Amino acid sequence: MTAVHRSVVYDWLRHDKKFPHVWCPGCGLGILLGSLVRSLAQGGYDKNQVVLVSGIGCSGRLPVYVDVGSVHTTHGRALTFATGIKLAKPELKVIVVMGDGDATAIGGNHLIHAARRNLDLTAIIVNNLTYGMTGGQYSPTTPLGAKATTAPYGHSEPSFDISALTVTAGASFVARSTVYHVTQLDQMLGQAIAKKGFGVVEVLSPCHTNYGRQNRLGSQVEMMKGYKKQAVRVDRWEKMSPADREDRFPIGVLADHERPTFLETYQGAVDRAQAIRKEG
Amino acid sequence: MIANEATTKRGKPQTKHSFYPAWCKRCGNCVAFCPVGILVSDEWGYPRQVDKERCTGCGLCEMLCPDFAITVGYEKPGAVDLAHPASALDSPEVTQEKSDAAKAASNISPERLAPVPREEK
Ligand SMILES: Cc1ncc(C[n+]2csc(CCOP(=O)(O)OP(=O)(O)O)c2C)c(N)n1
Ligand code: SF4
Ligand code: SF4
Ligand code: SF4
Ligand SMILES: [Mg+2]
Repeated sequence: MTAVHRSVVYDWLRHDKKFPHVWCPGCGLGILLGSLVRSLAQGGYDKNQVVLVSGIGCSGRLPVYVDVGSVHTTHGRALTFATGIKLAKPELKVIVVMGDGDATAIGGNHLIHAARRNLDLTAIIVNNLTYGMTGGQYSPTTPLGAKATTAPYGHSEPSFDISALTVTAGASFVARSTVYHVTQLDQMLGQAIAKKGFGVVEVLSPCHTNYGRQNRLGSQVEMMKGYKKQAVRVDRWEKMSPADREDRFPIGVLADHERPTFLETYQGAVDRAQAIRKEG
Repeated sequence: MIANEATTKRGKPQTKHSFYPAWCKRCGNCVAFCPVGILVSDEWGYPRQVDKERCTGCGLCEMLCPDFAITVGYEKPGAVDLAHPASALDSPEVTQEKSDAAKAASNISPERLAPVPREEK
């Protein structure tokens, strides 16, 4: 592997887009954008080999800034577009960037079935615990009791654990990190992109403007310090008592195994069909 | 490994940090998370490196900047040094608005305020 300097980011940005980008000052999405580009450059991928697909939301803006083929699709349907692209051109690296709302609310069904099929895609799910773009309504990952514009007295539903959900649904690779743990995030993204099969990286990212403000969590700096306190490496997490796990979450690689991908199992069906036609 | 040209084997900083004020949103991440605490916010909220010798070249200020406004160890010719003297950025043209007119009026040329792509290889 070639060593690349971090400033390689500037070679991958679309300088004809307006910079600074649209996100709020301090939003974690910019940190993720840098991390993703570094892991692509580090992995030695060619720009023409990579396709970024996103839905709608603040997270959905991310591919817009990267100088690779990108498709900014509709809310919740990024995985369906990505599925079509991958099946038509399996040689491409298809990376999907979704928000928690995008991936687990309107697009929740696509997520579990993409994981079950184990199609060779990388899904980066930016979990900011809210619908950032539309002003802070609750999403399926908003914690029980947290405030949202649609839950002014505190949310009355428990939340989805995106990583656990995708592990159970059958993804080959699942990891969780935060934008504060940025060097680890670079690695996790690199691993997920290199992995054959459905790879998920859940990225905790502060939306101080909407979620943070409503829940009095302070600035993004405060929220990132919160990640530092709450995040526990998965090896340590496994040895922790339920009481110690209270208010904490594991980060690191949560699943990494080999399973036939959808392209492989589909090729099996193609081969069988062709064999029957030849005989007949 | 991402190469870190900013440090020698002994961890000494070698290259200056470039800073691109036109992309900085003054969020304070770099100042809050520099492990050795050598970044301060100036009166406008822009970061300034005050104790260059203690910089470990870790690159966290670059990686935790959501706006690509800092590079560690990649010296863009003519870029503003992160260790800039307080006076370098204090003209209202630069700090308050980045309109073309303001940039033209300021004595820092627009190219110095933003990173530009390197020549295609
Ligand atoms: C079909 C459809 N329904 C609803 C919307 C409105 N909408 C836009 S973004 C969004 C949610 C964004 O939340 P998330 O996916 O978590 O992304 P974030 O902005 O938090 O990154 C919604 C509901 C839409 N654009 N399209
Ligand atoms: S609204 Fe939230 S997620 Fe969207 S750019 Fe602002 S801080 Fe980021
Ligand atoms: S590289 Fe940046 S964050 Fe690291 S010590 Fe130097 S100034 Fe601080
Ligand atoms: S992290 Fe970046 S945008 Fe934020 S204050 Fe520092 S240089 Fe400016
Ligand atoms: Mg969200």
